[in-house]
Amino acid sequence: MTSVLTVLFNGVAYGMLLFIMSVGLSVTMGMMNFVNLAQASFSMLGGYVMVAVTQQLGIPFLASLPIAFIVVGIVSLVLERVVFRHFYGTDDLTQVLLTIGLIFMSIAIVTYFWGSTYQQVSVPAWLTGQQDVLGFTLERYRMFLVAVGGALALVLVFGLERTRFGAIVRACVDNNRVARACGLNTDLVFALTFAIGGGLAGLAGALAANLLGIDPNFPLRYLVYLLIVVSVGGMGTISGTLIAGLVLGIGDVACKYYVPELGGFVIYAITVAVMLWRPHGLLGRRA
Amino acid sequence: MKTLATAAALAGLIAALSTGAFAEDSIKVGVLVGYSGISSLSGQQTDAAIKLFQKKYGEAPGGKKIELIRRDTTGPNPEVAKRLVQEAVTRDKARILIGPDFTPNTLAAAPIVTEAKVPTMVIGAATTGIIEKSPYFTRTFFATPQQCKPLAPYAVKNNWKKVYVMVADFAPGHDCEKYYISALTEAGGTVVGNVRIPLSNPEFSAYMQRIKDSKPDALFIFMPLGEPSIGALRAVNDSGLKASGVKILAVGDTTDETYVDAVGDAALGTITTGIYSTQHDSAMNKEFVKDFEALNGKSPRIGWTAISIWDAFRLVYDGLAAQSGSSFDPDKFMAFVHGRSFESPRGPITIDKTTGDIIQNIYIRRTDKIDGVLQNVEIATLPNEGFK
Repeated sequence: MTSVLTVLFNGVAYGMLLFIMSVGLSVTMGMMNFVNLAQASFSMLGGYVMVAVTQQLGIPFLASLPIAFIVVGIVSLVLERVVFRHFYGTDDLTQVLLTIGLIFMSIAIVTYFWGSTYQQVSVPAWLTGQQDVLGFTLERYRMFLVAVGGALALVLVFGLERTRFGAIVRACVDNNRVARACGLNTDLVFALTFAIGGGLAGLAGALAANLLGIDPNFPLRYLVYLLIVVSVGGMGTISGTLIAGLVLGIGDVACKYYVPELGGFVIYAITVAVMLWRPHGLLGRRA
Repeated sequence: MKTLATAAALAGLIAALSTGAFAEDSIKVGVLVGYSGISSLSGQQTDAAIKLFQKKYGEAPGGKKIELIRRDTTGPNPEVAKRLVQEAVTRDKARILIGPDFTPNTLAAAPIVTEAKVPTMVIGAATTGIIEKSPYFTRTFFATPQQCKPLAPYAVKNNWKKVYVMVADFAPGHDCEKYYISALTEAGGTVVGNVRIPLSNPEFSAYMQRIKDSKPDALFIFMPLGEPSIGALRAVNDSGLKASGVKILAVGDTTDETYVDAVGDAALGTITTGIYSTQHDSAMNKEFVKDFEALNGKSPRIGWTAISIWDAFRLVYDGLAAQSGSSFDPDKFMAFVHGRSFESPRGPITIDKTTGDIIQNIYIRRTDKIDGVLQNVEIATLPNEGFK
């Protein structure tokens, strides 16, 4: 029984990590209908920002998280104004090619400034090691991830998705001309949403760095996971991304524990099954 | 009389040309490693090692100026490697090759270098037996059994008899698993469980739980360089497995100097096998490390690619010096290399007489912190380990 619950907890923690990693993409791809693969690069940048401010400026880890959010948010805002906004109306393939190109550029840029090796990531002592909770020995950083992931989900669902702002974003995406005719500043709405999506990716990179490591190849290594979570969850829904993250996380950890021979196969099997069953994802609404 | 002398001189010249006794004043050496992408670090190490070697020993061994032809293999891509080897040999007329790296690349090179008679130094492929794929192959890296076997008897000797075996799920991992398990059974230990982990695996907690359940004395890890090694060592630490007293054994890649800083203190106490540590206690190594860092800086740290390139150049330079004053003969070069013994910064090395594979000391190391830096400290030496 203890091992079942420990596995469940670890699965939830991994699910939260997947959710945190992909929620930025869920915002831009789901809410704005823009396929921005470079979200993975924004995550990497967030990781580097966290490493830089904690190690070079001596800022505590917790304080570095909002800094990663803001810095990457600003970077993505600038990029949105300069590059991305010109591609809002284009088809998916154009957006994919554009953003995959940006990923390769980001890899080269990061290698130039930080070198090709992995960064040394350290978190405060109170977040390392283990803690006994109600008879279970749990990893502290995983508990931290579950707490942060849960809080993030609440904030995003009630502060972004189900608010007037969320409705405005959807209105602008669904019918840009009518939204403008109704007096909405669609440019501003898109820029803000894009910045929030980028900032979330940056925050995710800072949070994930401790578990996943940070090096220039980060975006290509984890891009597939981001896409899987968002498509399983369904476009345009933050709660869907959360559920998808948890389903995939728990499925992956449980399968690796009980049937290790199947190993990393399960996450893909779940994805294929869900896509066959519900092509628009678990909570997807847009055709 | 004068005509006769000219004729004699001419005859002599023709004779000299036909036996090929003319010594070239330069020779092209192809260097084929990863300069971009995931393996770009090996390119950096390669160039750093070459730079130091040429600074110390000049650029013209045996009177032949070395002309380097550098090519990027981009990683384990046999099609790319095959094309690069072909171009280097046929178009650029390289007479000696260093690399290509990785086993699939090396295998792709075998038929070409055999036909063209181009001596080739294997510097980044560890698979057993690949050296026998070409009579022109020789290895200055290591062979998988050298890495994977020694920790089996070592564990039994230390009374860690129940061992859990965790390897990466790809061909080198399967090889290593096979060698370790057979060596462990032979030494009288038992395998309490084994698991193969996908190469792309950000999540280790389930495996850690399984390992804990089987209550081993020690855990043996084979993970390739990079994020799998970092992830594995961090998971072993964060899950409390190490704190519970399970000994962590691993192949040297796992705590490689170029990556261990990213693992951080989670790497402390890991016991590994290795061919080279910058901590190796010899006058030659101290000088090597000092000069290397003075020329190339302290980062990235010196890894196994650098030392393999260094020793490959040692063979190339000595082999060319031995042919000083005559035209380069690849068969004589291979005959010179085979059976050769010399001291390297890593310790004594012998190139096997019949196969050209490497026989070298294997060191058992423990990851410690020395002056605030994680280092692989050699705690035992297994002299002259074979490659099978």
